[in-house]
This record gives sequence, C-alpha cells and structure tokens, in this order.
Amino acid sequence: MTEMSNTHVRLVRLALIVGLIAIWEFYARFISTSSLIAGPSDVAMAWWPKVMGEPRVRTAVGITLIELAVAFAMSVVFGMLIGILIGLTNIGRRSMYPIVLLLYGIPQAIILPLFVLVFGLGPASKIAFGFSHGIFPVIVNTIAGMRNVSPHLLAGSAAMGASRAQQVRYVIFPHMVTTVFAGLRLAMTLTLLGVILAEIFVSQGGIGFFTLLYSETFNPAALMALVLTLALMAIALNELVRLVEARFSRWKD
Amino acid sequence: MAMPREPVLIRSIQFGLVAILFGTWWFVTQSSQKLMLLLPRPELVWREMQLLWSSGRLWAAATITVTEIVKAYVIAVVAGILVGFLVTRSKNLVRIFEPMLAGMFAIPLTLFFPLFVVFFGIGPDSKIAYAATYSFFPIALNTIAGFSSVDELYLRAVRSMGASSIQQFRHVYLPGALPVTLTGLRIGFFICIASVLGGETLAAAAGVGKSIALSAELMETARLYAWIAFVVLASVVLNLLALAAETRSERE
Amino acid sequence: MISIDHVSMTFVGREASQTVVALDDVSLKIRQGEFVCLLGPSGCGKSTLLAIIGGMLRAIAGTVNVDRAPVNGPRPNDIAYVFQESTLLPWYTVLDNFRLALKFQGIDDTSWRDRAMHALSAVDMTQFANHYPKQLSGGMKQRINLARGLCVGTNVLLLDEPFAALDEQTRMVLGEDLSMLLARTGKTIVFVTHSLAEAVFLADRIVVMTARPGKIKAEINVPHPHPRSPDFMLAPEFGKIRNELYAILRDEIRATVARMREARDARG
Repeated sequence: MTEMSNTHVRLVRLALIVGLIAIWEFYARFISTSSLIAGPSDVAMAWWPKVMGEPRVRTAVGITLIELAVAFAMSVVFGMLIGILIGLTNIGRRSMYPIVLLLYGIPQAIILPLFVLVFGLGPASKIAFGFSHGIFPVIVNTIAGMRNVSPHLLAGSAAMGASRAQQVRYVIFPHMVTTVFAGLRLAMTLTLLGVILAEIFVSQGGIGFFTLLYSETFNPAALMALVLTLALMAIALNELVRLVEARFSRWKD
Repeated sequence: MAMPREPVLIRSIQFGLVAILFGTWWFVTQSSQKLMLLLPRPELVWREMQLLWSSGRLWAAATITVTEIVKAYVIAVVAGILVGFLVTRSKNLVRIFEPMLAGMFAIPLTLFFPLFVVFFGIGPDSKIAYAATYSFFPIALNTIAGFSSVDELYLRAVRSMGASSIQQFRHVYLPGALPVTLTGLRIGFFICIASVLGGETLAAAAGVGKSIALSAELMETARLYAWIAFVVLASVVLNLLALAAETRSERE
Repeated sequence: MISIDHVSMTFVGREASQTVVALDDVSLKIRQGEFVCLLGPSGCGKSTLLAIIGGMLRAIAGTVNVDRAPVNGPRPNDIAYVFQESTLLPWYTVLDNFRLALKFQGIDDTSWRDRAMHALSAVDMTQFANHYPKQLSGGMKQRINLARGLCVGTNVLLLDEPFAALDEQTRMVLGEDLSMLLARTGKTIVFVTHSLAEAVFLADRIVVMTARPGKIKAEINVPHPHPRSPDFMLAPEFGKIRNELYAILRDEIRATVARMREARDARG
C-alpha cells in the first residue's frame, strides 16, 4: 500500500466534508418532510440577517467571549497558585492531590443550578462555572510539572552550585510553566464547555435566550446557524491556543 | 524516605479537611440566618436525603438517568471501537480521519445539545443521542491510537512465522491495542455520565439532572443539596473503583 | 540452497523525491549448509535483500528460490527469521512465545514443550522459560530469539543484525555461541551485519555490497573451519581478511557519508 502525499490527504478530507454537506443538503431539501431538518442552504440564509445580523445576538456572543476570557484567565492564575501550594510539599501533594482528582471527576453539570442560584443570572455565574471547569486541568498540570522535572537537570544545576531557591526559580518553575502551557488547550476547551453550558442553561438572556427562542419557534436553521458560528469560534480559539502552546514549546524535541 | 507513619498522616489530613468543611458549614448555618436560602443547615439536607431515599424518588430518577447512560455508552462503545478499528486498516485512512475526529472532539459538543433536543424532543432520546455522540470520540480516538501503536515489528515477526490473519489479530493486535483502548473506554464512560447529567439539567422531562434543575428553580435548596450529595457520592465511588481497577491492571 | 536471480528493489515514498532504489540487479547463490554474511555500509540494502529472501518483501524484479521453490511470501516451514530487535511478544511468557511460534507454523501437538525446552537449553536459558520478556536483559532476549529461530526446525535461518542492539562484550559471547551452535546444525545461514569482525568470525563467505543502490561488490571466502574459537580472532589470517574487507568497504562508506551530508544540507 502506497502512502498518499500530504496534499492528497487534505484533498480527500476536503472532498469528504464537501460530500457530507452535499448529502445533507440533498436530504434536507428533497427527502425529509420534517420541518425540524434544515439544510446548509437554509442555515446559510438564516445566518445573516436573522442570526448574526441581529445585534442582540452579536452582543450575546460578544459577552460570552468576554466571560470565556475572564474565566480562562482566572483558571490559569488560580490553578497555578493552588497547584503550587499543593505541590510544594510531599505531604501536601500526597494528601491533597487525590482530593483534587476526585473533585475533578465529579460531573459538574449538577452544581450548575446551584451556581446560578448563588451567582445570579448574569455573567458572574457563567464565569464562575467556566472557572470551576478550567481550573482543574491547570492544577493537575502544575502539580505534574513540579514533580516531573528531570532529575538530571536538578543534579546538573546543583553541581554547578545552584541553591534550592535558584533551582526553583531557574529549573523547576520554568519547567512547570511549560507543562501548564502544554495543557492550556484542555483548559481552554473545558472553560469554554463550562461557559457554554451555563449560557444555555440560563435562558433568560445571553446565548441561552436565543437557543431557547429558536428551539421553541421550531427554527432549526437559525439554531444551527448560531451553533455553528459558536463552534467555528471554538475551533479558532483552539487553534490560537495551540499556536501559543507551540510557540512556548519550541525548545522541546 | 517513606516513614510508616506517613499514610496515617495523609489520611488524617484528608479526613481533617473534610471535617473542617462540614464543621464550618454547620457552624455558619447555626449562627447566621442570612444564608438560609443559599446554604441550608446540614441537618435539613440530611433529612431531605433520607426523604428522597425512602420515598423512592431517588430511585425513580436514578433509574431513568442510569438507563440513559447505559444505552448511550453501549452505542458509543460499539460505534467507537468499530470505527476506530476500521480506520486503522490503512495508514491513509488514519491520516485522513484522525485529525478530523480529534478536531471535532476539541469543540465543546454541548453547543449542539439544543439541536439534539429539537430533533429528539425533551425525552430520554435526546440525552442518549447527545451522550453517545460525545463519548464516541474518545473511544474512537483511543482505539485508533491503540491499534496504530502496535509495533509493526511484532506483526512482521509473527507473519514470518506463518501466522494467519486471525492469529495476528488475536495474538498481536488485540493484546497490543488493549491498554490504550481501555483508557479510551474509561474516559468515554465518564464523559457519558457527565453528558447525560448535563443534558438532563439543561432540558429534560425526568431524571436526576432534571430533579436538580427543578429543585433549584423551586428554590428548594435543601433538596437541591441532597440531590447533589447523592451524585457526588456516586461519582466518588465510581472514581475510586476506576482508580483501583487501573492500579491493579498496571501492576500486572 | 538459496538462489537469488537479478533481484532489484525500489521503495516509493509519499513524495516523488522520496523514491529510493535499494537494490540493483543482485544475483547470488548460497549452498546448503553455508554461512554467508551480507556486509556493507548503512543503507546499502542488505537488510532489504534479507527481507526479500525471507519473503517479507517482494522484489520489483528478479526471483528468489529457496530449496528450488520460489519465495513469494513467508515460508515458515523452510525459513526462520531473526530480527534486529527482540520480537518476543511482551504479553506472553518466553515459553508461550515458543508455543505460538510452533502453532503459527501449524504444529499444535504436545511436542512443543520439549522442543521449546530443548532450544532454550541450547542457549542456556531454560531457567527463564516462565519469565516475561521485560524481565530479561537485551542479550538474554536475543539468545531466546535465536533459540526460537532454531526451534522451528527450518533449513534456512536468516538473521538481520541480531546483535546490533547489544554491547560489544555481549556480542562477542553470543557470536561465539552462534558459531558453535550453528556448526552442529548444518543449516544454511544468511547473516546481515555491518561489523567487519563479526563477519570474518562467523562467515564462510562474505558478500560485500556497495552503497545505495546496492549491488554486490565483492565476495570473500573465509576458509577456516567451524566451530571457531575466539583465538581465531588473533590469527593473522583473520587480520588479513579483515583488512581486505576494510579496503573494499572504505570507498563505499565514504560515498554513503557524502550522500547523507548532501541530503542533510539540501533539507536546510
């Protein structure tokens, strides 16, 4: 079996995607009689002016992005702080880390209603929920980054006369930061997950209002237009974070 | 370095923390009346928990939720392993599909949940479809990784000794791919649970998530905490079981 | 006996620039019971040639016959193949690995255990029969791989740099054992290596290959009888043959290094 060239692979992928969209369009237009199925052309027509053309929708999307940014920044900062505090001592890590993992494993959807009760219907609850999602991978990566510094590097720096404080500053801390950056994409994905979940849940405003509106008025085209727009933004954000990650990992082999 | 006292110290810290947490909760609710709405007294929560248990409402909701989880997981496992295995039949297929699957998994699929509700309605089907879709990805991706990671060297060696395709699959592919595939199944399982609960919280007719959303809406905070407590307990037990299974398989 | 007639091999890469001509019209005849070494610089196609003899690869031109029958795929009853790295399946014990080797060959009766233990005792590894490969060192694993290759009872044994991943001392010991072992079995053996000393010590005949595309440059006979003791390495005959090999190879090695530098510079 011969391997395809890279361009060939990309072309096949593109062809697949185009093909799927074509089948979707064909099905929606000619086969399905349900008003619940919208084809790509319907979605495209609904996109502007009905969805993104509507200023309130744009505002909702904009607010969501701001909530995401705030929640993400908080996750990274506080995640690293907590991670450092836990990972600093052996005892601290061995006692706290399992608790962190257990908390990480709890399906957070169940505390969403509580968060909304406590933080209200505004951006605060969405930021809080995004934060509670994104903070865990950062904590886990921070602790891991502190633990798995190569003993060779530590031995080497000690041999050159570095004090413990210098080792922390020049060896352990940078290594930890790069490990955190390696996990940044996961943190971003989870934070986004939390923010979106909260937004959809709170249907009194924001994106949730419009998803509910389009659902209840049986407007699948508009719903899909909104959802796909957000999905594309998510992909773009993912790519952005991946570029940042790559930039900071250039020294890695 | 490991002193025999250490595990005891660790456990004490852990239990101590939990005790402090509950203690603070109890103390705060004793003295202040203001938080009553958001932070009910522990005794009230405990009473609600007992009520949910004895009245059967816990079991009714749990049955619905667990059924949804099981159905969704079975679909995801069958589809995920099948697709994952088929993709690894050719290196070209892997190069075409793996990045696509990985890319789709990176989007919070929660975005698409409203679409599932529009198509499948507010009943269990939308949750099953959504959770099955979400957990399909880590299973398929890990199956691909698992079967791709089987060292060509072993396959060549075994072929040179005359192994048939079935023998190659049974003695090289399967054992080689198993560890990574199992990890995918584990990740998929927890994603399945989270997705079902998430879906139920957002839009459902019944189930644990629905009960939680409902008690919040009705401001029945003690009951809300009770529901949350049950789910947290179940989740902790599941996680500990998964951890135990993992450490045991690693030891082999 | 092995007959290689006008074999050529080309590897097609993903991009046109990655196409490689590995072998160019190679012909060779190997007698029954002969121990032949394929020797040459890196990338000269010796491993490729071995893979073609063993039926693991199909040449794009030419034929290979083993015991008068053409080789179109693996022939587990006639040809045993020992790889450079251990191919013991890590999820089975040593003994189970032997059992599988025989089962793949079609032998599924109760004789497998005796055959396995017999093969293990030939390489002094019987006490590790129930161990898992990861519990063994590299040298031990390669002994066992060798034993497995002998255990299946084929006429032909192909070895692809089996000692390459081992340290020098282990190599010397295993080389001695190989020489003794094989002297007793009378098998036809083709052994790929890029160690000159190894080739002279083990082989009856050394086939020297050119740098890529691989052709046969020279054939040198080593008339010393088997089994060979380590003292053979001190004999003047040994040094003479070795120097001869070095002289033949030197140009080929230089050519290979030059090409590698060229390729590296082109990549930038």
